[in-house]
Amino acid sequence: MMGPEMPIGRFEDLAEIYGGEIARWPEGEREAARALLAAHPERLSPRLANAAQLDRLLDLAPAQSVDAALLGRLIAAAPQASGAARRWIAGLGAALGLSAAAFAGVLVGVSLAGHAQPAAVAPVVTAQIAMGRADSPITAVDVSTDLQDALEEGSEL
Amino acid sequence: MASDGKDPDETLLAGVGRGDPSAVRALLDRRLPRILALARRMLNDAGEAEDVAQETFLRAWKQARSWTPGQARFDTWLHRVALNLCYDRLRRRREVVTDTPPEQVDTGPAPDAGLMRADLSKRVEAALAALPARQREAIVLCHHQGLGNIEAARLMEISVEALESLLGRGRRALKASLADLAGAGG
Repeated sequence: MMGPEMPIGRFEDLAEIYGGEIARWPEGEREAARALLAAHPERLSPRLANAAQLDRLLDLAPAQSVDAALLGRLIAAAPQASGAARRWIAGLGAALGLSAAAFAGVLVGVSLAGHAQPAAVAPVVTAQIAMGRADSPITAVDVSTDLQDALEEGSEL
Repeated sequence: MASDGKDPDETLLAGVGRGDPSAVRALLDRRLPRILALARRMLNDAGEAEDVAQETFLRAWKQARSWTPGQARFDTWLHRVALNLCYDRLRRRREVVTDTPPEQVDTGPAPDAGLMRADLSKRVEAALAALPARQREAIVLCHHQGLGNIEAARLMEISVEALESLLGRGRRALKASLADLAGAGG
């Protein structure tokens, strides 16, 4: 079903406002615009082509590639599965002279044996192992800290 | 269009809130380049764009556990935060730089001798940077970020008519300042 007819002036305005691709115009006006274009191609096609020239120039405005260091900082600062539990593991493991990963392994064993332990620890350790990161450095970054705090905290562990 | 359907980021955001590293990575892969590009085009400065993108996501991490689905799309929220941070920086620039910024883009040497793509890119970036910030914002949101007119207008807290006015004026100004490049965009 055809929508309301579009005045030629509105078509020309839309090309100037939204550019040369009707697909990027307001959804509710596209159908009428296409119908109008089909009826007056010789007049309206050049308007679209003209607007598309500016679109192509705009596409040249540089974006920016994501720097690996930025990505790394953001991953390090992201919420982690129970930061408190990670700190607890790292701290207690260090006190016992074990690496964090080794101590995490001990905790898994204890957990599987059904002995009591802090409730939050098992999921964290399980997650570490599931991620294949049981031997990676444990970083304790709380979600509420800002990046600086997070990085400082991480470097202390 | 913007407000219809489920937020495509909802599941990933829930994963981020639970501390799922794969969700963090996936969300960053999906949204960080967009936010970085937005900031770059608003600020015309790579370092500042990176700072804005970083701060935007640090705020997102803080929100992740308490995010309430259905209130706003996460992508829209990210855009709003990033734009606010961009405007903070633009305001600071105005306070630091006492000179009036040039209204006209330096068009440089005659371009018809075959401008390289990098030169074209610089020219376009400079022309965008010379626009009033609200016109630039409207063009970046609609053209580069691909937002629909309703979503862009809502984000800018203006009517669709006002958005169209900004877009029209912005594009006319760009066309004038880049007139010598007509046909050079490939």
